[in-house]
Amino acid sequence: MTTSSSVSPTAAHLHLSPRQATAVHAILRRYRGKGSAYLLPCLHDVQAITGWLDADLAAQIAESLDIPAVQVHNVIEFYALFYDHPVGRTIVRVCDDLACYLAGSEAIVRACAAHLGLDPEHGGTTADGAFTLEIHPCLGRCEQAPFLMIGDEAHGFVRPEQVPALLGGEA
Amino acid sequence: MASPGATILEAARSAGITIPTVCYHDHLTANAVCRICVVEWMGSRTLVPACVAKIQPNARIYTDNERVRTARRVILEMLAATVDLSEAPELQTLLAEYGADPHRFGSDAARREHGPVKVDNPFYVRDYDKCILCWRCVQVCAEDVQFTFALGFNGRGFETSIATFFDRPMPETTCVFCGNCVGVCPTGALKGKREYLAAQGAPIGPR
Amino acid sequence: MTYQPVLTARLGKIDPASLQDYEAAGGFQALARAVELGPKAIVELLREAYLLGRGGAAFPAGIKWKAVSEAPAPKYVIANADESEPGTFKDRILMEGDPFALVEAMLIAAFAVGAEQGYIYIRGEYPQAIARVQHAVNTCYNAGYLGRNILGAGFHFDLEVRKGAGAYICGEETALFESIEGKRGFPRLKPPFPTECGLFGRPTVINNVETLLCVLPLVLRGLDWFKSIGPEKSPGPKLYCLSGRVHRPGLVEAPMGTTLRTLIYDYGGGVSGSGELGGVLLGGAAGVFVTPEHLDVSLDFAGLRTIDAVLGSGVVMVFDTSVDMKAVLRRIARFFRHESCGKCYPCQLGTQRQHEIVERLAAGRLRSGDLLALREIGQTMRDASICGLGQTASGAILSAIDRFGFDEHTGRFLRFDSNW
Ligand SMILES: Cc1cc2nc3c(=O)[nH]c(=O)nc-3n(C[C@H](O)[C@H](O)[C@H](O)COP(=O)(O)O)c2cc1C
Ligand code: SF4
Ligand code: SF4
Ligand code: FES
Ligand code: FES
Repeated sequence: MTTSSSVSPTAAHLHLSPRQATAVHAILRRYRGKGSAYLLPCLHDVQAITGWLDADLAAQIAESLDIPAVQVHNVIEFYALFYDHPVGRTIVRVCDDLACYLAGSEAIVRACAAHLGLDPEHGGTTADGAFTLEIHPCLGRCEQAPFLMIGDEAHGFVRPEQVPALLGGEA
Repeated sequence: MASPGATILEAARSAGITIPTVCYHDHLTANAVCRICVVEWMGSRTLVPACVAKIQPNARIYTDNERVRTARRVILEMLAATVDLSEAPELQTLLAEYGADPHRFGSDAARREHGPVKVDNPFYVRDYDKCILCWRCVQVCAEDVQFTFALGFNGRGFETSIATFFDRPMPETTCVFCGNCVGVCPTGALKGKREYLAAQGAPIGPR
Repeated sequence: MTYQPVLTARLGKIDPASLQDYEAAGGFQALARAVELGPKAIVELLREAYLLGRGGAAFPAGIKWKAVSEAPAPKYVIANADESEPGTFKDRILMEGDPFALVEAMLIAAFAVGAEQGYIYIRGEYPQAIARVQHAVNTCYNAGYLGRNILGAGFHFDLEVRKGAGAYICGEETALFESIEGKRGFPRLKPPFPTECGLFGRPTVINNVETLLCVLPLVLRGLDWFKSIGPEKSPGPKLYCLSGRVHRPGLVEAPMGTTLRTLIYDYGGGVSGSGELGGVLLGGAAGVFVTPEHLDVSLDFAGLRTIDAVLGSGVVMVFDTSVDMKAVLRRIARFFRHESCGKCYPCQLGTQRQHEIVERLAAGRLRSGDLLALREIGQTMRDASICGLGQTASGAILSAIDRFGFDEHTGRFLRFDSNW
C-alpha cells in the first residue's frame, strides 16, 4: 500500500541578511492595511527578496495586510510558485509536458539532473543551494519545444549537450 | 409543494424523497464538495448537487436513476479506498446501499495517511486518516460560526489536508477550544480527548 | 491563403515597449472609434458579431458584456491571461509582442460595460509577458490612456496587472476571482454567474486575451468584415497553437474553421517523425484526440461538436505514428492529478485513481477491471465535478483508448508503432 506524501511546510527558519530584512520591512510597510486582495502580490514581492517563506514571514505578512494568519498559510500551500521550504538561488524549470516530451524533454531532464547531481524523477535542490530543479507542466512555449527556464530566462529548442553550458559552472 | 427558493434537497425532503448527503450540514454554508447528493436535471449537461441547486417549476429531476447511482457509487468507492471510514457509520451504510466496492482499485491504491493521531491539547484529538475533507470544521472555525480562523488547508488535489498555521499544535494557534469543530465532524477525525482515551484504553481495561 | 492576419499583424514589426510604435501601427484607433460609437453600440456590435470566447468555453462575449453593462456599478473587467492549458501559447505571444493592444482592448471593454477597474491576470511563469504588459500599463498611465477622464471622454479606468502563482485551476474564471481576492484557487459554485456576482461579489466581465483582442479589429473594420471570416456559427479570426510532430510548429492566425489538413500540411509543413499522422490532440489536456479521418473537419466550435471534439483554447498538437502514446497519456493523467484543486470529491479522488490506472496501462500491467474503473471514474468526474477541470480530466485519455485502437491484451495502441 502506498501513502500519499504528506505535504507540510518545514519548521526551518529563514536567515535574512540585514539588507534583506530592510527590503522586506519596506514591502510590508507598503502593503500595510491593504487587505486580502493584496496577499498574492505581497507574497510575490517578499519571496523575490527571501527566496522562500517561513512561518515568521507569513505571520508578519498576515499582520501587515490585516488578515488571518491561516489564510496566508492556505495560500502559500496551494500555489506551486510559493515555497514553504528553502530552495536554490536559481530555479530551473524543465518542461516535461506533451509537446516537450515529443521533442525529447526526457533527455533534457536527464541532462539537467545529471549536471546538478539531482534525481531525474523529482528534481530537488543542490547541496550548495545554488539550484532547484523542477520537472514542470507545460510552460506555454510548446512551439519552442523542448523548453526550459533558468530563473526568468527562457531557453527554447534546447539540446541535451547544451545543458552544462546553460547551467554554467555554479553547480 | 416546495417553497420558492428551496433547494432540490429541501423540496425532496418535504416530498418524502431521500437524497443522500455527506458534506451538507443544516446549519452551515453548503459548499457542495462531496457531490454525493447529485441528481439528474433533464436538460443539464452535468448532474447537479441537490444541496445547493434551487428547484424550479416544471423541472424534471431524477434523484435515483442509473446515472446518478453510478456517480454516487464511484465517489463512495474512491473515498473508502482513500480514507479510514471505520468510525463513520453513515458512510458505511451508504457504501452498502450503493454496492460500492472500494477494493476495486487494488490494495496498492494510495491512501491519505497522516501519521499518529495528533494529541496536542486537553480537549480534543485530531486523527486525519479519518478526514474526508468535508470542510465543516474549517467553516465553523471561520465565517460560519466562530471567526477564529485556526483551521485551514495544506496541499491541493488528492494531497489536500486540514492543517493549522504552519502545522503548529492547537495551543499555539488562534484556537479558543470552543469544540464546534468536534461537534460537526462526521467521521471521528475530530473527537473529544476523553472519548479517544476511553476507546484507546478499552481493550486493555479490566475485564 | 489569402487571409490577412489582424490579431498578429503587429508582432515582430513594432517595438513592444514603444507606445509611439503602437500608435503609428494603428494603435488606439479602435478606442477612438469606440468612444465615437458609445457603449451601447459597442455591446450591440459584439452581440451581432457573435464573438465566441477563445479561452475554452466558447460562450458569446456579447451576452456577458450586455449583462454587465446593464448591471449596477461597481463592476469589473478582467483579462484572463493565466494560459496554462498544455499546448497553449497564443496569449503569451500576443502579450509579449503587442502588449498595448491588450490595454486598448481592456479600455474598450471597460468603456462599453461601465467598469472603472480592471485586472490582467497573467500566469506567473510568464515573466516576460508580465514585464511587457506592466510596462504598457505604466506607459498608458503616463500618456493619459489610463486613469481619470480618458481621452477627455469623461470616463475613468484603472488597470492592474496581477501575477499568478502556479495553479492551472486559476484560469477557471471563478477560481481566478478567488485568487485575486487573496485566496486558494477553489472554483465557486455556479450559479451565480460572474456577470451577476464575480470579483468581490460584483458584476464582472472576464474574457480571454484573444477574445479581447478580437474586439479591436471588430470595432475598426466593422461587423461585415468580421462575419465574412469563418463559418456563420463561429465567425472571426482564430489563433491555432500548432505544436508536436510537425516540421514548423508555431502560432497560426487563420479564419475560424480552418481544417486540420491545412494547418498541418500548409502551415506546419507536414508531419515529422515517421512522417505518418497518428492522431491530433485538440484543445489540450482538457481536450480530445482525433484521428487522420478527421483531417477535413472544420476547426470551429460548432464543427468539432459533430465529431465529439472541442476546439478549447486552440491547441492543435500533432502525433506521428512513432509516438509512444502511453507516455503521452501518463503525462496527461499526471497533469490533472497535479492540478486538481481538491475541492470536490470526484476530481480530488478521481484524478489520483485515474493516474494510478494510467500508470499501470503505461507499464503494461493493467488488471482486469481497470479499464471499467477508468471509464466509470471518467464518467463520474465529467458528471459530478464542480468545474471544468474535473469535467474534462478524463476526456483525452478515454478518447485515445477509444479512437487509437487500444488493445487490452497486448497493451498497445494499434494506430501507433509498437517498437518502443
Ligand atoms: C480548469 C480551467 C482552466 C481554464 N484556464 C483558462 C485560461 O488559462 N485562460 C482563459 O482564457 N480561460 C481559461 N478557462 C476558461 C475560463 O473559465 C473562462 O471561460 C474564460 O476566461 C472566459 O473567457 P472567454 O469567454 O473570452 O473565453 C479555464 C477553464 C477551466 C475550467
Ligand atoms: S476533520 Fe472532520 S469536519 Fe474537518 S474536514 Fe475532516 S472530516 Fe470534515
Ligand atoms: S473539478 Fe477539480 S479543480 Fe474543479 S472544483 Fe472540483 S476538485 Fe477543484
Ligand atoms: S509542453 Fe513544454 S512548453 Fe508546452
Ligand atoms: S451533500 Fe451536496 S455536495 Fe455534499
